[in-house]
Amino acid sequence: MTATGHDLSSRGLWQRLFEPPSINRMAPGTFITVYALLLVWTLVVLFPVYWVLITSFKLPLDVASGPYFLPWVDFTPDLHAWKALFVDDWEDTLKAYSNSIIIALASTALSVLVGSMAAYGLARVQYKPKLGSILIFVAATIAAIIAVVRYGVEWWLAGLVALAVFYFLVLALSRHFKTTLANGDILFWIISQRILAPIVVVVPIYIMFQRVGQLDTHQAIILTYAVINLPIVVWLMYDFFTSIPVDLEESAQLDGATRIMTFTEIVLPLSRAGLAATTLLVSILSWNEYLLALFLSTSKAQTMPILVAGMAAGERGVLWWTMCVTIIVMIVPVVFMAIVLQRFISKGVLLGAVKG
Amino acid sequence: MSTNVIDRPSTATPAALTPKRLTISNLNKSFGAVHVVKNLSIDVEPGEFLVLLGPSGCGKTTALRMIAGLEEVDDGSIVLGDTDMTHVLPKYRDIAMVFQSYALYPHKTVAENIGFPLKVRGIEPGAREEAVRDAAAQVHMETLLDRFPRQLSGGQRQRVALARAIVRRPAAFLMDEPLSNLDAKLRGFMRAELKHMQHELGVTTVYVTHDQIEAMTLAHRVAIIDHGVLQQLGTPKDVYNNPANLFVAGFMGSPPMNFVEGTMNNGRFRAHQVDLAVEGGVTASDVTLGFRPEDAVVVDPGQGRFDARVYTAEMTGEQTLVTLKIGEDTLAVKMPKDFEVDYDATVGIGFAIDHGFLFDTTTGKRLDARIADAA
Amino acid sequence: MTTTTGRTDETRPGLNAPAGPTGWTRFSEWLDRHSGQFFITPAVVMILIFAIFPLVASLMLAFTRARIGAGGFKFRFAGLQNFEKQFFGSEQFHFLGTFSAFSLLAWAVMAATTAGIVWWLYRYASTKFSWFGFVGRLITAALIFGIVLMFSATLFSGSPFGTLGVTLFYVFVGCAIQFAIGLGLAFLCSQKIRGRGFFRVVFFLPLMITPIGVGYAFRMLADTSKGPFAPLWQAVGLGDFTWVANAWTARMFIVVADSWQWIPFVFIILLAALENVPRDFVEAAEVDGASGWQIFSDITWPQIMPVAATVMLIRVIEAFKIVDLPNIMTAGGPGIATESMTLHSFFAWRSFDLGQSSAIAYLLLFVTVVVCVSFFNLVVLGRIRQS
Repeated sequence: MTATGHDLSSRGLWQRLFEPPSINRMAPGTFITVYALLLVWTLVVLFPVYWVLITSFKLPLDVASGPYFLPWVDFTPDLHAWKALFVDDWEDTLKAYSNSIIIALASTALSVLVGSMAAYGLARVQYKPKLGSILIFVAATIAAIIAVVRYGVEWWLAGLVALAVFYFLVLALSRHFKTTLANGDILFWIISQRILAPIVVVVPIYIMFQRVGQLDTHQAIILTYAVINLPIVVWLMYDFFTSIPVDLEESAQLDGATRIMTFTEIVLPLSRAGLAATTLLVSILSWNEYLLALFLSTSKAQTMPILVAGMAAGERGVLWWTMCVTIIVMIVPVVFMAIVLQRFISKGVLLGAVKG
Repeated sequence: MSTNVIDRPSTATPAALTPKRLTISNLNKSFGAVHVVKNLSIDVEPGEFLVLLGPSGCGKTTALRMIAGLEEVDDGSIVLGDTDMTHVLPKYRDIAMVFQSYALYPHKTVAENIGFPLKVRGIEPGAREEAVRDAAAQVHMETLLDRFPRQLSGGQRQRVALARAIVRRPAAFLMDEPLSNLDAKLRGFMRAELKHMQHELGVTTVYVTHDQIEAMTLAHRVAIIDHGVLQQLGTPKDVYNNPANLFVAGFMGSPPMNFVEGTMNNGRFRAHQVDLAVEGGVTASDVTLGFRPEDAVVVDPGQGRFDARVYTAEMTGEQTLVTLKIGEDTLAVKMPKDFEVDYDATVGIGFAIDHGFLFDTTTGKRLDARIADAA
Repeated sequence: MTTTTGRTDETRPGLNAPAGPTGWTRFSEWLDRHSGQFFITPAVVMILIFAIFPLVASLMLAFTRARIGAGGFKFRFAGLQNFEKQFFGSEQFHFLGTFSAFSLLAWAVMAATTAGIVWWLYRYASTKFSWFGFVGRLITAALIFGIVLMFSATLFSGSPFGTLGVTLFYVFVGCAIQFAIGLGLAFLCSQKIRGRGFFRVVFFLPLMITPIGVGYAFRMLADTSKGPFAPLWQAVGLGDFTWVANAWTARMFIVVADSWQWIPFVFIILLAALENVPRDFVEAAEVDGASGWQIFSDITWPQIMPVAATVMLIRVIEAFKIVDLPNIMTAGGPGIATESMTLHSFFAWRSFDLGQSSAIAYLLLFVTVVVCVSFFNLVVLGRIRQS
């Protein structure tokens, strides 16, 4: 049997470099190119982190007098920045850290809980809100705001009256409203809240919290973060819930379980992967958030990002060394959370949501 | 007088090139520690329809994928025509493959799907269109060229996959269980279509299936594989009437062949109440007797080769399937449709000498011996 | 025939006997019947209070002039004044840019855009026309026209553009870079390499760092005298160059930092999409004779296009909100060259001009909504319909 033209030794140079010799192996040229490019990007990713890390061990003199790359070779690593953060300013650091942790955990828990419930409702229950009722709500809101701002009515009074007016108007008029919306519309509305840049709503929220004296508290920031991240939770969990076969829940209901029991005992345990992915994503977003925290806190509820920014605002110029310590210290819990949760996350989770 | 339909590879020169011979020699493949294909050697005649038949996981699909070039060969060679293909990339092998899932590109129309192999080879649109229309006509899909796969039924998708395979007139076809996703009625119809088409085109074809009826009806020759080892290679008739071992005998036929395990003693086969004289020297001591349900008859007790107790009798319309027991072993016999018998009755089972097979229980090999007529 | 002996259980009441109505069962039954409401109400209430209400309030604010008074803020109705200022009044240079006479390039661009828009609208009207769709497309066309007009009067005619242009620059240039590199990395990682998991983990790192941390880190890296690349800059003669002093380098500076942080997001999702392409398709194409590039462009890419469109939509939505990086990397400078609309609004708030702050925020919302809805309808839905 003679081997003809397709044998491996008679190919041109380009083919030899870039055409795979057999189905499961890469051509040498491809191999080198792929790994080289991936290596380049790995350096691009790791170098800034490395730089931040070593800067946290540098003395101000080392930072100011030009770039030093290798600890113990170019410069002597020093713990003074770490000391400044964890010993000298320990109270401030502790306060910021604990604030960040409390706020991130609480807002993540709140948004994942509320969001999952809403996603489950949207996945399994047919809602039929009437367009007219929604318009009435908006009108009542505007009226209440005008009352408070223009005529100085107390906010709680205006709110109650508006709510009552809304309730009764809807009761009286809803039978006349024809246009009803469906689950898809509600879902779209919730998810489209994400298009809202926080800056659009932050001013009224600021005024709102100021009026009730809740500025600079944990709960204000927790609530705000929870709402900001709600659309993400609903989006991801909705896709997840719709992929669980209804048979399981129907069987539970026949056995006598209420909807809430079905949700907590059957659906949630099956959704571990989705919940893990969502929790990770939302907690990262809450942990790293800066603008809203800046608006809503002044001293007591300050979070880590504000601490970071604070190190650039002093009269001594930017304190790069302590700032780098803070940045590093901020990464650690996130990495920890990612490691803990990644066991539950399958790569298909986010993909499924994005496809839908 | 029986008219034999000659079931041989077509010798008419097809519209394609002259059909090529495909020779697989000592093919070996392991996935990690699992040795999936063991020393497989088959010589496929030019224009032959060869079926690789076997249960799930026996290595037949792996062997097919090695021929396609989608799996690397650990050891052995694959030669098509006079070209050694063993380590050549799939696209150079001049082979077309129909996948079990059809693998139709969902974003392309039927015409674009069929034309893809030609487009990829740089054939210009004019010649391409003609070839696509030709191929589509051969599978009766010429009116649906503008549809998308999601708009087609299962059978239509399968035909598009076929058309894509034949459009470039390859030297060999490979098919991986193409009919398994179709419902039973459609399957029968497509089987006939496939067979007719292969005969007309005369292209060497290797077809993988676990369905022995498909194998029997489609193949010129069948290669039965179990656990990566070739059990028997022969025409369907051969394989059915002359099984080489226990596995082949038990795999072919529906319901499967009846087996009675027993021992040889002084030239006699003994099992439960079975006691039969055996001709021809048998050195093995553990021997299995086999006979097909359609080759046996239920007779009065004592009138057959041995007696058994009736377990059930099932009327299927065209025949009565009688299930009997010897000890704890179950046997089946096909009787005419108006046959009646009582449950638990003791009856005799008879069959001709030629229809009784003896196998070595330990090795599974068929023994060169037969039952003697003397009681 | 055997019968099962019946058992009379006095000790165990029949398992199927209905429970007598107790207070708890009545409540839980009521709860169950209304459970649908129960599941969705918290989310709806939260969004109504913290998103819709502030949205309405913000709109009303945009129509007022706010002044700090004795016990807080005093608001006076001011009509469209805040908006007028941005487009035609004293803030025009800040929001739109400094207009100068059209250059040749500007005229050419305007002509091409006008022709393109007219042709596009005509094509839609003459094929499958619906009033709803036409009005939507009209809005999109108007926005595109307005944006191109702004750029023609500023950038293409040689004068600086304002925060609207800066935001659009961040969004489109940034997202384009992020998509290109993210897709490239995903494609590389989807090859038959070892260590895909390693790369996935490492490449995810930038997403975990707080954005302002990223900003400060890049400020350090870009420092031409003390940063790690200082020797490089000095060798090229840029040893005293300040990134933040030049408008375009400052903008690129921010885009680089933003991309560094967000490329992992695009990468991870596209990698998952590539891994999900059924192997059958690729193998069928290989047997059919396609080369690596043909397989990617003809088979793989159409398969992942819907996911790519969706992930870019998400990225564009988030990109419009960019504020942290311009704030701490360049403070919006030099001048207003890197000031995004969110930052613009933030600065207005800081100077207690609440009305203007809300007006700018609303303009941002309008632009974001039109761009995203257009993108969604034309690209995402279109691709999904195709596949």
